[in-house]
Amino acid sequence: MVSVATTKSTVLATALATAAIALPSLQFAFAEAAPDQGVVSFKYLHYQDSQIGNGVNVITGASSAGSSSRMGVNAYSMTASVPVAGEWSIGTTFTSDSVSGASPMYHSSNLTKMTDLRRAIDVELTRYFSSGTLSFGTGYSKESDYLSRSYSFQGSLSTEDKNTTFTLGGSLNSDNIFPVTNPNAYYSKKLYSGIFGITRILTKNDIVQFNVGYSNGNGDFSDPYKFYDNRPTRRNNTTILTRWNHHFDWTDGTAKLSYRYYTDTFGIRAHTLEGEYVQPLSNGWTVTPLLRLYSQSEADFYVAVGAVEKADPTQPTPPPADAVYYSEDQRLSAFGAITLGLKVSKSLNQDWLVDLKYEEYEQRGKWSVYGNSDKGLAPFGARSIQVGLSRKL
Amino acid sequence: MNSRMDSFHFRFEALGSGCEVVIGSGSKKNAQSIAGCAIEEVSRIECKYSRYRTDSLVSRINAAAGHDWVECDEETLSLFQYADTLYESSGGLFDITAGVLRHAWDFGNAVVPGQDVLSRQCSLINWQSVERQGNSVRLPVAGMEFDFGGFGKEYAADRAAALVYRKGVRNGYVNLAGDIRVLGPKLDETPWLIGIQDPRHKSRTIASIPLFTGALATSGDYERYFEVDGHRYCHIIHPRSGYPVTYWRSVTVVAPLAITAGSCSTIAMLKEADGLAFLEDSGMGYLAVDHLGEMYCRNTSSGF
Repeated sequence: MVSVATTKSTVLATALATAAIALPSLQFAFAEAAPDQGVVSFKYLHYQDSQIGNGVNVITGASSAGSSSRMGVNAYSMTASVPVAGEWSIGTTFTSDSVSGASPMYHSSNLTKMTDLRRAIDVELTRYFSSGTLSFGTGYSKESDYLSRSYSFQGSLSTEDKNTTFTLGGSLNSDNIFPVTNPNAYYSKKLYSGIFGITRILTKNDIVQFNVGYSNGNGDFSDPYKFYDNRPTRRNNTTILTRWNHHFDWTDGTAKLSYRYYTDTFGIRAHTLEGEYVQPLSNGWTVTPLLRLYSQSEADFYVAVGAVEKADPTQPTPPPADAVYYSEDQRLSAFGAITLGLKVSKSLNQDWLVDLKYEEYEQRGKWSVYGNSDKGLAPFGARSIQVGLSRKL
Repeated sequence: MNSRMDSFHFRFEALGSGCEVVIGSGSKKNAQSIAGCAIEEVSRIECKYSRYRTDSLVSRINAAAGHDWVECDEETLSLFQYADTLYESSGGLFDITAGVLRHAWDFGNAVVPGQDVLSRQCSLINWQSVERQGNSVRLPVAGMEFDFGGFGKEYAADRAAALVYRKGVRNGYVNLAGDIRVLGPKLDETPWLIGIQDPRHKSRTIASIPLFTGALATSGDYERYFEVDGHRYCHIIHPRSGYPVTYWRSVTVVAPLAITAGSCSTIAMLKEADGLAFLEDSGMGYLAVDHLGEMYCRNTSSGF
């Protein structure tokens, strides 16, 4: 209950704080200052996924049932950011991934061996102003059968007291696929995305963020490497993200909680709940455990294993006769997933930082909060390990 | 390029007490030059607003009381504007014309003034009678005085800190006799631990408040006082009764700006028993010790 006196006092304290802000040159002038140091970092990521159970078979692999390692990715990336003229910064990332393994042609079956190499470069230019920032970025990524380009801009504006920041951004992605299996085919799609966000410092220890994103996609969403795959040529999605970071004075640690809701015109709705706790220890060590829970519904046109009677169980399920759109990509089925991770980092001195991050991912159809899971799919799992090294210049 | 950072401490005397600037920097020379600017800024404010300096702007306005208008610059006008809000927010308790009471209270000789002296001085306290027109100001009655001492030190701490921040410093603080504005955490990203003095034991602290950023200020009955017949007379004087306040031994407030922290702690001292409700409703973190030694505190670590 708020008494009249309380309300009055609070108003008076607010009036005092507001009057103080009106005094000249008491505020720290820059919400976000341009970095005064450059940073170069190098990261190596190893990712390996696997799927266990019946219904997993490999055409050219070693095992025809039981456990099967599928995709393995080794990625190297180098990022450099340098301050320019005090108010600008340029950041560049080079990534080189080698991919090898097997990708299923339908559901989790018919794994085809593949090896590929992806090279990507991103450049971002940021200008720092007294009350905000403006960034422009462009990216280029190439594989043997795939070419992707992106252009983006983002602006942020902070209020006078620097406690609230508004962010507005937009991007264009253009992807082209030249399937190796069909030299005459050409797939392309374009994605226009926009994002609006508000970040607010609530107390010295709490920051909250709210973002809404919308993306409009046109073009070929079908996967040229899969059987029975014909997807709509339009995919629009909306994402709502809320974050809360809280610093605990008694442990000096920070909890980062976030919830994301995703919905798209394929009929997929997804929830992601993530919690991370960053605990600095003595001698430059930091430990960060992570838990991520994910759950999605199936796409409207997903065809489950055995949705239609078929003579041969090793063959793909034919789509229903009246279906216009259909796909047997298990990523479009209803499922839930749990990720457990741990990151350990150590600053060797003021300039060098090393970190090691391990993540274990498990995916099950029955973990979907929407039910209606595809019981024919085997559980899917992945683990990744990342090593990073960075140096301030 | 070597970018190893260190914290450099610079101590100096200003505003009649010991002060300190702490700067995290990659080079001592750079830190020295930045600290020099901060000290210069504090000194500029002291020269302009100290009533102890006969050549200050405040002394000039005070000398013209009852007579002439004095033209003021932008900075001074904005400080008057702030003083106006202080007056309104405190129900008239924080009045920058209350400094005349210091003529009645002689802390050096420890003499309690007579009621007639106090009544006469109190009749000269009246912020609302101050005439302001355009850029000019006038104290209407001879003998009236402005005293910026109630927030000048905190204002100087904020100004100096903002100046240091503009020079690119992100770790350190400015401490003007216990009124502190933090620029950012220590170099290892841990907070500065600010010890709060025990109001009855000069060498002891009663608490340690961690600050990553923001400000902290303390008002207390122990900075300047004298005792007669077991009664303590401190330098924070109620503008209506003319007597020093007695309810709180000390009030520390944590706020985004030093000037806000200092103003709130002084208002709480002046409000005496009602000070606690004021602090509680202000939404800021505080640590208060009453006349019996009882401590009251609220969330000094996330006070804003």
